Amino acid sequence: MNEEEKSKSPGGKIDRRDFLQGLAGLPVIGAFALAALKQESYRRAARARKAAAAEGGEAPAELRIALLGVGAQGSVLLNSMLKIPGLRFQAVCDIWTEYNLKRAGNLLKKYGHEAALYEDYREMLDKEKGLDAVVIATPDFWHADHAVACLQAGLHVYCEKEMSNTLEGARRMVLAARESGKLLQIGHQRRSNPRYIFCRDLLLEQLQLIGRPVTAFGQWNRSAAPDLGWPKKYEIPASQLRRYGYDSMAQFCNWRWYRKLGGGPIVDLGSHQIDIFSWFLGVNPKSVQASGGIDYYDKSTHEWYDTVLATYEYETPAGMVRAHYKTQTTNGSLGYFEQFMGDQGTLVISESAGMGSVYREKANAPSWDEFVRKGYLTEPKLVEVKAESESDSLDVRETISPDEHRIALQFNDPYHKPHLENFFGAVRGSGKLNCPAEVGYESAVAVLKVNEAIEARKTLDFRPEEFKII
Amino acid sequence: MKETRLSTFQWITLVTLRMLIGWHFLYEGLAKLLKGNWSAYGFLMESKWIFADYFHALAGNANVLAVVNTLNIWGLILIGLGLIMGLFTRVAAGGGILLILLYYLCNPPFVGLFYSIPMEGHYIFVNKNLVELGALLVLIAIPSQQYAGLDRILYKLVKK
Repeated sequence: MNEEEKSKSPGGKIDRRDFLQGLAGLPVIGAFALAALKQESYRRAARARKAAAAEGGEAPAELRIALLGVGAQGSVLLNSMLKIPGLRFQAVCDIWTEYNLKRAGNLLKKYGHEAALYEDYREMLDKEKGLDAVVIATPDFWHADHAVACLQAGLHVYCEKEMSNTLEGARRMVLAARESGKLLQIGHQRRSNPRYIFCRDLLLEQLQLIGRPVTAFGQWNRSAAPDLGWPKKYEIPASQLRRYGYDSMAQFCNWRWYRKLGGGPIVDLGSHQIDIFSWFLGVNPKSVQASGGIDYYDKSTHEWYDTVLATYEYETPAGMVRAHYKTQTTNGSLGYFEQFMGDQGTLVISESAGMGSVYREKANAPSWDEFVRKGYLTEPKLVEVKAESESDSLDVRETISPDEHRIALQFNDPYHKPHLENFFGAVRGSGKLNCPAEVGYESAVAVLKVNEAIEARKTLDFRPEEFKII
Repeated sequence: MKETRLSTFQWITLVTLRMLIGWHFLYEGLAKLLKGNWSAYGFLMESKWIFADYFHALAGNANVLAVVNTLNIWGLILIGLGLIMGLFTRVAAGGGILLILLYYLCNPPFVGLFYSIPMEGHYIFVNKNLVELGALLVLIAIPSQQYAGLDRILYKLVKK
């Protein structure tokens, strides 16, 4: 037996060699612990970022609120507001007194708010004293009159988009806000959405994740749908409808399709996303061309285009960006989202929580591992690289598909809640509006021009001064 | 117990193999533990072949599933520690073989079975699980813990 074999035989004394070789696993455990701890710290960073978005706040001083217009959109806003602490609903106004108004009043009662109910907004503004703010969700053609009256009555106003169906109306609103010194927030609610702010401020601006932006795309696809109906027993009398600018109950319910009342799908849907183009790219558009028509629905009851394709040019500091927008109301596939492409990556973002990814251009972009470690992005999704053809080999000329990273920040609140919170916060004196009247106006200028371009059948230029009100 | 006679290089190779497998087990267990809400549910529900019903039944009962999850996590961690430290090495290797065999039988890479869980390679009959299982068999056959591992000290203490 040599020395080594002796040391391994049983019954011997434990010598130095036994001791060292016996504990050979310790340095390995040590190295493992270091690696695992480091990895865990990255995971915790990602989790902390997620949790930060969900944290709550203090109990603020109570604001007294009136609601003007509680139809479909007004109900969405009301349901969001019921989740915001510190609001007292004092009055509700809607011309559909037997239906919308009663429904809203009953809902508020359930939550302990005794709100006075009104048909006429002027009567409400006369009688209700001590109001702090009004939330307006009436049809577009009423926005200017409603907002101006409320501002002149000394109230802060949150007004749904589109700011107005005419630029003249939108201009009156901006001026009324300036003269009254009261706040006017326009309901482009993505501007307060933490996921959008995260993408714009951090991913695009600070990290320049997509590199030099070159194109943008946005769409809102909706399935074909019949006109909205109404319970016959709750029909509003014709004389009352006429007093408020509607020819019929059908028109009242489907106002979005009528020229004098709304702006059509490009305004209802497109304005949200065209607003994101300008916001993310940091400039207003330079020109727009568009094609659209009433291709599918009955032209006698649908005066606005059911299908619109529009192309904008944005001259950004980094160079030209071409942005294409599509809205179609006849097929809902692929839903709604906005997409920004640069030479280093692509951002796809949507208000819908299921979407929100960045794709790294492997050929040109630096590594994004650091952003994964910091918890900004999830690790890339496993993509199986496979040949599509029968030949079963990859064509070397084909670009490898980019890595998809999900945006790590999650947001599970109602979509409108942060924008409303931003407004009420500003009313209390903390923070600035994310979409003040001037910004809403710029957005209205960009969007309303699409309908003009469809009629003109040519490219229309924007003059920089068009976006400003002096 | 009969002495195994190997060269130093052969011993070191074996010990290295043992530690590599131990490291893998340990992190598989720890990562699941740290994740907090990890569950074998998806993996079990993907099960195909003749034991599928059995694995689906494990996943289908919440209480059983909780036990399966805990056993799996702590099994992986303890086996990993055992293999790295060379402590109760044979038991650890045997436990490892049992676990891997279960994974293998749950989702076997047999001809004509297709899974929706993405795999990072291409396998037919033999996958990395099976290779690791084979390596653990080697570690049972040749006791690397005689050369390096706490078992070496333990062995002497017990036989004293």
